[in-house]
Amino acid sequence: MRVVLKGISKAFGKLRAVDEVSLEIGDGDFFTLLGPSGCGKTTLLRVIAGFYPPDGGEVFFGERLVNDVPPHRRDTGMVFQNYALFPHLTVRENIAYGLRVRKVGRAEMDARIGEMIRSVRLEGLEKRFPSQLSGGQQQRVALARALVISPQILLMDEPLSNLDAKLRVAMREEIRRIQKQLGITTIYVTHDQEEAMAVSDHIAILNLGRLEQLGRPDEIYFHPCSRFAAEFMGGSNILEIQVLSYDETASRLRAETGGTALTVRAPRPAGERAYLSVRPEWVRLAEEPGEDVIDGTVESTTFLGALVRYRVRALGGQGIAVEVHNPRAEDIRREGAAVRLRFDPERLAILGD
Amino acid sequence: MPRIVNAWNGVFVLAFAIIVLAVVYPMFIIFRASFLSPETGAWSLESYRAIFHYPFYRRCLKNSLFVSVVSTVLSVVIGVPFAFFLSRYEMPGKNVIKTLATLPLILPTFIGAEAWLLLAGRNGLFFNLFQKAGIELPSIYGWKGIVLVFTLQFFPYVFLMVSAAINSIDRSLEEAATNLGAGRLKVFLTVTIPMVTPAVLAGALIVFYLSIENFGVPILIGEDFRVLSVQAYNEFISEMGGNPSMAGALSTVLLVVTMGLTILQKYWVERKSYAMSAVQRPEVVRAKPVATLLMWLFCAGIVFAALFPFAVVMVSSVTKTSGPVMYYGEFSLENFVKAFTITPRPIVNSFFLATVSTLVGIVFGLLVSYLLVRRRGKMSYLLDALVMLPLAIAGTVQGIALAATYNTGFIVLTGTWMILALAYFIRKVPFSIKTTSSLLEQIDRSVEEASINLGVPPFRSFLKVVVPTMLPGIVAGAIIMWVTTLAELSSTIVLYYGPWATMTVEIFQRMGSGEFGPASAYATILIVSVLIPLFFLQRYLGRDLTTTL
Repeated sequence: MRVVLKGISKAFGKLRAVDEVSLEIGDGDFFTLLGPSGCGKTTLLRVIAGFYPPDGGEVFFGERLVNDVPPHRRDTGMVFQNYALFPHLTVRENIAYGLRVRKVGRAEMDARIGEMIRSVRLEGLEKRFPSQLSGGQQQRVALARALVISPQILLMDEPLSNLDAKLRVAMREEIRRIQKQLGITTIYVTHDQEEAMAVSDHIAILNLGRLEQLGRPDEIYFHPCSRFAAEFMGGSNILEIQVLSYDETASRLRAETGGTALTVRAPRPAGERAYLSVRPEWVRLAEEPGEDVIDGTVESTTFLGALVRYRVRALGGQGIAVEVHNPRAEDIRREGAAVRLRFDPERLAILGD
Repeated sequence: MPRIVNAWNGVFVLAFAIIVLAVVYPMFIIFRASFLSPETGAWSLESYRAIFHYPFYRRCLKNSLFVSVVSTVLSVVIGVPFAFFLSRYEMPGKNVIKTLATLPLILPTFIGAEAWLLLAGRNGLFFNLFQKAGIELPSIYGWKGIVLVFTLQFFPYVFLMVSAAINSIDRSLEEAATNLGAGRLKVFLTVTIPMVTPAVLAGALIVFYLSIENFGVPILIGEDFRVLSVQAYNEFISEMGGNPSMAGALSTVLLVVTMGLTILQKYWVERKSYAMSAVQRPEVVRAKPVATLLMWLFCAGIVFAALFPFAVVMVSSVTKTSGPVMYYGEFSLENFVKAFTITPRPIVNSFFLATVSTLVGIVFGLLVSYLLVRRRGKMSYLLDALVMLPLAIAGTVQGIALAATYNTGFIVLTGTWMILALAYFIRKVPFSIKTTSSLLEQIDRSVEEASINLGVPPFRSFLKVVVPTMLPGIVAGAIIMWVTTLAELSSTIVLYYGPWATMTVEIFQRMGSGEFGPASAYATILIVSVLIPLFFLQRYLGRDLTTTL
């Protein structure tokens, strides 16, 4: 089922929680709404579920306009952040709830529940009450309850945020596995960019109620279109640059930042000044001075085993985060050491704003 | 979802209509009456002038304040050490003492007054015993008796609030003070006491409020010592036709006091709480044997003094009597036989009225709680304030207001059972709303949404998912409503009419005419009817009545 949003807006008092958001979500897509708290992602999801009527705009499920369809008729399966399991019902009764409403026959009900319970690995827990389950198990019940009704669309509101870090990774893989197996259109809300990258086909980054960037995870990672997108999706250094010259044929520009000249491969920026996004993992430590090399001093060194994180103060005064993966013991630079940083012209991104 | 919104809007309108008709409009009626001259019916301040001019009325106000202040101080003096001893020290029979100490909260105060009359009134058990020994006991009548009954019945509020506060102080706070060099006394004075002070004030405020609003105790035991609530009643029910203006003015004065106390409670005390969540309680200490004995004697003695009178009432009910003369030691079931065969009507009335108003209260309470918790907005705040209003109105005042409003005009309810049911419902429904809405707040909204999302329409989702989850709380709220309704005297006495006398009225009247035996029989039925549901509440729902009051 395709989901199309056209110019959705929703305000609470003066706060514009969602502001003119238009999106298209393909059939079978795992689509993530990503953004910091208060960006409007949950509001947008609740508009899709029908819990909030939008102030403006249209929601389509396939070709059908669903603005006036009440939430209980939208046939979506929703997994809530706190799972929202019915405390007075057992695991099995929780899962059966939606099927009972749909007046599914006994034999079919047993078959579907059984299959679902196997699929989410809850065998043997059918008679337990939610309060007798661990967080991960509750999460599975919530997922099973939403999926067993074979909804057209699966909606998930930060489903993993109440689990511990290890379980979170395991569960997100499981969610992705089940989603692929069923081929169900899924709209997933999270504030965790790593989680979003791990599970999504497409990601929409929201900021202050507006759609910031839409694309595949790798597109957004490699080509963030704004400072917000660059900083939110993975860490990033943002450097202000002064454009010196532009070479049309090679589509390279020469620019200057903090007294150092740089070459960047990019389309021509709009103005004289522009912002450059440099991922910490793209910065190399150089031995020799030369082209596209910035001199600086190590301010802090954090050794994390598989990588070393440096905070470097560039000659021009700018602070730059650097990550060196697979470090060798003898190459680790201590605080106060002079370093040279090399930027790869191919991997720098000019930001839109 | 326009259709759904409308259904709840309808509930909103209905709830407002009920509150306006049962509370706001009647209060307006007596408020207006207080500004009308009793003789001419023109606008005048005559009644208020009379209150502040004639020493008699001034004394009523002074008396009310006096007994309330003295009872409050005594309740604090008893309740605070009571709470400290039981929370911090080992003591034999501790849990029994704690449980018994909460009983006076639910036992009707006027039965407490009745009990003390049986004990120490003219012709009372002790009175006669001591007289034989040649000792003249101080009179129980007047302010001393009122203060005695108030203190013994209301000190548990101070005890409970202070206990809760003591138990919510994390031990690390006292340990931190010790670590910083403070001695035990210093810790107690600089950490423990300041942390507990808001609870002491909150408890004191409740005691003061209940004392000044009480009607049954002063009218039974006060004799010539008149207080506001009694005088307002007298003015209204006067044999010479009554004086609605004066009754209204006295009610208004009482209303100003009770409202003021409620506002003080809400905006001052409720904000000053240091309750911490997830605390590690301080250790319970075993004191030296002598100290333990002294503390035990204090706590057990207080509980005994508070409950013994009720036992006397129960014993009196199976004692042979002839008018005010009790033949203690001579067993007889005559009082009960008479109560059940000759005049069973008050018993039936009480149960009927309590049940009807409770059932209506459950439904109304549930719907209103839902509006208050789930549909927050300006309207729901207003509704919240309005439904809680009866908590700030003395029962007598509420009774007078309803009687004055519905004895003429387009709706005439005076003289029917419905006005009693209405008064009970409106006075007790705040308890039901409090329990259900605090429960509802704990149920995340998404549980309902999950049900809606799975295809069940909103109102049915509420019934299928929310109501079952809340059931234990609803039952608890209903029991509290039922039990307190059964024991209601102050508004009943104003509103009842011949055949609709309740057990409380019966007890009150029989005491007045000196028929102690039958009065005790009805009182015993009442006590038992109150205690059985509470036992059930504690045993099967694992709830304290204290969490609900």
